[in-house]
Amino acid sequence: MVSFLGMLAIDARDVEKTFRSGWPRRRETQALRGVSLTVERGAIVGVLGPNGAGKTTLLSILATLLTPDRGTVMVLGHDVVREAGALRRRLNMASGRPSFLWSLRVAEIIAFYGRLYGLSGAALRRRVDGLIELCELGPYRRVPYSDLSTGLKQRVALAKSLVNDPELLFLDEPTLGLDPDVSVRVRAHIARLRREQGITIVLTTHYMREADELCDEIAFIKGGRILARGTPGELKRQIRLGEVIALRLDPARVPWLAEIPGVLRCVELDGWVECTVDEAEKRLPELLRALHADGVVIRNVQVREPELEEVFVELAK
Amino acid sequence: MSWRNELLAVWAVTLRNALMGARNVFFFFELLFWPIVGVLSIGLMSRFLELTEAQASFVLVGTIALSVVNVCQLEVAYAVLLDVWSKSLKHQFLAPIGIRHLTLGSWVVGMVRSLAVFVLLAALGRWAFGFHVLQPGWFALAMFLLGCFLTAWVVGVAVCALITLFGNRAEAFAWATVNMVLVLAGIYYPISVLPDSIAAIARAIPLTYFLDAYRSHYGFASEFRAPIATGLALSALYAALAHWAFLAAIHRARRTGLLLKMSE
Repeated sequence: MVSFLGMLAIDARDVEKTFRSGWPRRRETQALRGVSLTVERGAIVGVLGPNGAGKTTLLSILATLLTPDRGTVMVLGHDVVREAGALRRRLNMASGRPSFLWSLRVAEIIAFYGRLYGLSGAALRRRVDGLIELCELGPYRRVPYSDLSTGLKQRVALAKSLVNDPELLFLDEPTLGLDPDVSVRVRAHIARLRREQGITIVLTTHYMREADELCDEIAFIKGGRILARGTPGELKRQIRLGEVIALRLDPARVPWLAEIPGVLRCVELDGWVECTVDEAEKRLPELLRALHADGVVIRNVQVREPELEEVFVELAK
Repeated sequence: MSWRNELLAVWAVTLRNALMGARNVFFFFELLFWPIVGVLSIGLMSRFLELTEAQASFVLVGTIALSVVNVCQLEVAYAVLLDVWSKSLKHQFLAPIGIRHLTLGSWVVGMVRSLAVFVLLAALGRWAFGFHVLQPGWFALAMFLLGCFLTAWVVGVAVCALITLFGNRAEAFAWATVNMVLVLAGIYYPISVLPDSIAAIARAIPLTYFLDAYRSHYGFASEFRAPIATGLALSALYAALAHWAFLAAIHRARRTGLLLKMSE
C-alpha cells in the first residue's frame, strides 16, 4: 500500500457557491455556504447528503468543472481556479449517470480520452487493453456506447476515469442503478485502487452500506453546509443514536423490556426484539439478568452499532 | 504542454469527429444530399433564366461556397454540439484540453469533408452546366477555398461560443448563423446591389472578399482593391475574436454551472 500519511490531497476553506437563474425574475440558489473540507492523500472520503444538499456542486468545484464564488480550494497543491490546467492532468471523475458519444465503441472512447492525456501508440493500446480487462469490458470493446446496458456504461465511465492514472479520483454515485453483484465488484475495485495505487478517492453515494464499507471518513452535507464529519463509527457515536441489542427470545414478546432503565426503545422485527440502548456494554448484563429472572429463554443475542443509514436519516431531518 | 501533446489532443478530436461522421446518417445528408440539391436547382434555374455563361458561373460559385462553408462550419460547431447532444460536455472539459484542440481538430475534419463536397460539386457543375472551377487557376482556387475554410472556422467557433453561452436552446445558431453570413456576403449577387447600410456590413465579412477575388476570373470586375489581403486580415481579426469569445463563454459556463447543466 502506498502511504501519503499527513499530506493533504484537498484543502478547501469557506467555499461558497450560488447559482443564479431565470429572467427577468432572478432566482438564487445558495448551493454551498462556507464549506471547509480537508482530505488526506490516499484516503477514501464519502460526501453524503440528501438531494440538493450540494454534494455534486462541491465535487464539481474540486474537479475544476465549476469555479467557486468565494473561498480557497487547493487540490493536490494546485489552486483550482488559477492552476486548473495543471491539475486536470492529475485527477479524473466518473459519474453514476455516465454519457459519452453514442456512436463511439468502448475501446474508442477510452482511447479518445487517453490521447487527451498524452497517450499514444503502444502505450495507449496497453492502457486501453488494461482498462478493458480491469473493468471486465472485453466482450464489449467493439460495441457502440448507445448499445450498452446501464451497468456496462458505468464500467466504461470507470475505465475512462482511470485512463490518466489519476492521483485523485472523484466518483459521483459510482454504483447508481447497478445490479447488486456488479456493485459489489465495483466497490471491491474502488477499495483495490486505494490499496494498491494509493489513489485518493472522494465519492458521493446514496447507499449507506457503500459509504460504511468503503470510506475512511464521511462528510454529511445538507443545505450547503457540512453538518458532521468523521469516521463512520465516530459519526454514529456523535449522533448519539445509541446501540442496538437484538434478542431472539422464547416467548417472543416481552412487553416490559422497554421499561428497563437505559433502554430507549424496543421493536419486534422478523422474530427478533431490537432494543436500542444508551450503552450496550452496561445494559446487556442487566437485560439478560432481568430476562433470566422472568424465566424467558434467550436463544440468541447480537449487539450492533446503528446503521449509517439511521445516522443519515437523523442528520437529514 | 509539449508540441507532441498539443498535436495528440488535436488528433484525438479529429479522429473522434471523423468516426462520428462516418457512422451517422445525418452527416451523409449534410455531405451529399443538400449540396447536390443546391447545385442542381441553382444550375437549372440559371438555365431556365437563360443566364450567360459568366452569370451562371457567378451564381454557381456562390452555391458551391455555400455548401463548402456550411459543411465545414457545422463540423467546427460539432466540437461542442456532439458533446451537448450526448451530454458528455463535462468529461470533455475535465480533461486537459483547450478550445484550440477542439476547434482545430474539428476544423481539420471539416476541411476534409468540405473539400470532398467541393470536388463533388465541381464535377457535377462541369458535367451538368459546363462550369469549370479551375478556370481562374490553381492559386485563385486555393485562395477561394482558404477563404471558405477560414470563414467556416470563424462562424463555427462563434457558434460554439453561443451554445456554451446560452446552452442547448442556442443550437439553432449552428444552422442559422452561417446562412445569415452567406446572405450578407453576396452569395448570389454582388454586394453593390445591397442597400448602403447592409453593404457596409457585407464589407466587414471576409468571405465577401474571397468570393469577389474568385469571381473576378469569370469576367466580373473586382469591387475591392486587394480583396485577398483584406479577406485574410479580416479573417485573422475575427478568428482571434471568436477564439476569445469561446474562451470567455467557457469561463462563464464554469462560473454559472451551465457546463454541468448541459451534461445532465
